[in-house]
Amino acid sequence: MSAKTVAVQRFPRLHRATEQSFKSWNRIGSQMAFYVNTLGDVRFAIANYKSEMLRLVAGMSLGVGALAVIGGTVVIVGFLTLSTGAIIAVQGYNQLSGIGVEALTGFLAAYVNVRITAPATAGIALAATIGAGATAQLGAMRISEEIDALEAMAIRSVAYLASTRVAAGVLVVIPLYCIAVLMTFVAARVSTTAIYGQATGVYDHYFTTFLNPTDLLWSFMTATVLAVVIMLMHTYYGYTATGGPAGVGEAVGRAVRASLIVSAFTVLVISLAVYGQSGNFNLSG
Amino acid sequence: MTGLASAIRPFRAIGDFFAMSLDTFVLMFKPPFAWREFLAQSWFVARVSIVPTLMLTIPFTVLIVFTLNILLIEFGAADFSGTGAATAAVTQVGPVVTVLVIAGAGATAMCADLGARSIREELDAMRVLGINPLHSLVVPRVLAATCVSTALVSVVSIVGLAGSFFFSVFVQHVTPGAFAGGLTLLTGSSDVILGLVKGALFGMSAALIACYKGMSVGGGAQGVGNAVNETVVYSFMALFVINIIATAIFYVGPK
Repeated sequence: MSAKTVAVQRFPRLHRATEQSFKSWNRIGSQMAFYVNTLGDVRFAIANYKSEMLRLVAGMSLGVGALAVIGGTVVIVGFLTLSTGAIIAVQGYNQLSGIGVEALTGFLAAYVNVRITAPATAGIALAATIGAGATAQLGAMRISEEIDALEAMAIRSVAYLASTRVAAGVLVVIPLYCIAVLMTFVAARVSTTAIYGQATGVYDHYFTTFLNPTDLLWSFMTATVLAVVIMLMHTYYGYTATGGPAGVGEAVGRAVRASLIVSAFTVLVISLAVYGQSGNFNLSG
Repeated sequence: MTGLASAIRPFRAIGDFFAMSLDTFVLMFKPPFAWREFLAQSWFVARVSIVPTLMLTIPFTVLIVFTLNILLIEFGAADFSGTGAATAAVTQVGPVVTVLVIAGAGATAMCADLGARSIREELDAMRVLGINPLHSLVVPRVLAATCVSTALVSVVSIVGLAGSFFFSVFVQHVTPGAFAGGLTLLTGSSDVILGLVKGALFGMSAALIACYKGMSVGGGAQGVGNAVNETVVYSFMALFVINIIATAIFYVGPK
């Protein structure tokens, strides 16, 4: 005891640095424990908190507050994927016409949109809309001690708040991702054929030839995994928010930063694992 | 009556936003310029965005280079992977990653900071003291975000090119010389300038949205959280629109 006190007083900076590193180590551990608890309670939450789940699904797909005014998550996801689909077409058409093969724009739309653009953009849009919304809600609940009140009423707060949100996120992402993929296709087709004046037959030929159904299924799986990861991270940051109203804002910012990074790595890892070195792809076929 | 009021609220918000932006542009040229706040904010934005920039650039470029290289190897044109990497890193990944970082990291932190200040009524206290918060807080923040995001575009491009070089050469066995030689085939200095201009526009609009949302926060903790959430959504939407318009103008313009 006394030896430790002497050491702490003798080397205050060293002491603080070790405390900090222990703290961040412990934070990773508690984060992991939270994720395991949340995922483990998903079945319990689906069985016991059906009405809460339904309410969350409605809130997530249509958005709350000012975001509902502009059409909610559906419109935001559709809009973001629409603009990325269009930019693939604008950029692709111009670069390909630079080497004289602008006819392949349809191929590019079928290949790049499904494999990279649609999952990545959908992940970004999910993090920004339902993810950040969940962090804001849970953070506000934590600050106003509503989560403690839930615990005092013997309601399992992780199951009731976090597991339901993860399950609702997965339910919401499936129709949302259908819209996202369709939007990238529509945007690429319209901007190539209507704006740059490519013949629709040429575009459709290359597009349908290279649109691979297996790729689409993998792309859906990527989006579902992204939804789980994003909702887990965002609920964690909201659930553990501290420091008053400013703390909630900071927690939302930190959650968005962290989940953007993790979703980028998730897309990368899944596509490296699925498509492999050869790319699972035949240009001649 | 309340129905009408709630129906025109979005338009009122848009009007308020444009009024604030105009005020900010006018006040930019009015002395005294808040140098200390500008430097502090530049450092702040740079500090919160540098790690996310690196962590987002590397996976995105590797992903795109990997997909493009599969394609090029299939064509038998793996020597042109440098061309694809340069196009992807400078014209696509650069602006998009900058958008994500500026909106997701810089603007959220800025909005949380300003939102906390309005909740604690610090902004009202400044107005009482005769200090215009637009002049002393918003102008330096907008300029700082503009400068930092212009700089971020160059960081993203360089990190992206380096990452794609290592990935192509050491993982997909592309010849290093051919990679370096192909870099400037399709991508010229005009593309680099376009990237920098986009970066400046992104930084400016994200900071304006963040400051507007942060200063008009109401309703306690949930209000600040919602304001940050709306900042992310609106700045993503604004920045994607700016990206596509700037790209289209650039390609239509010279012809």
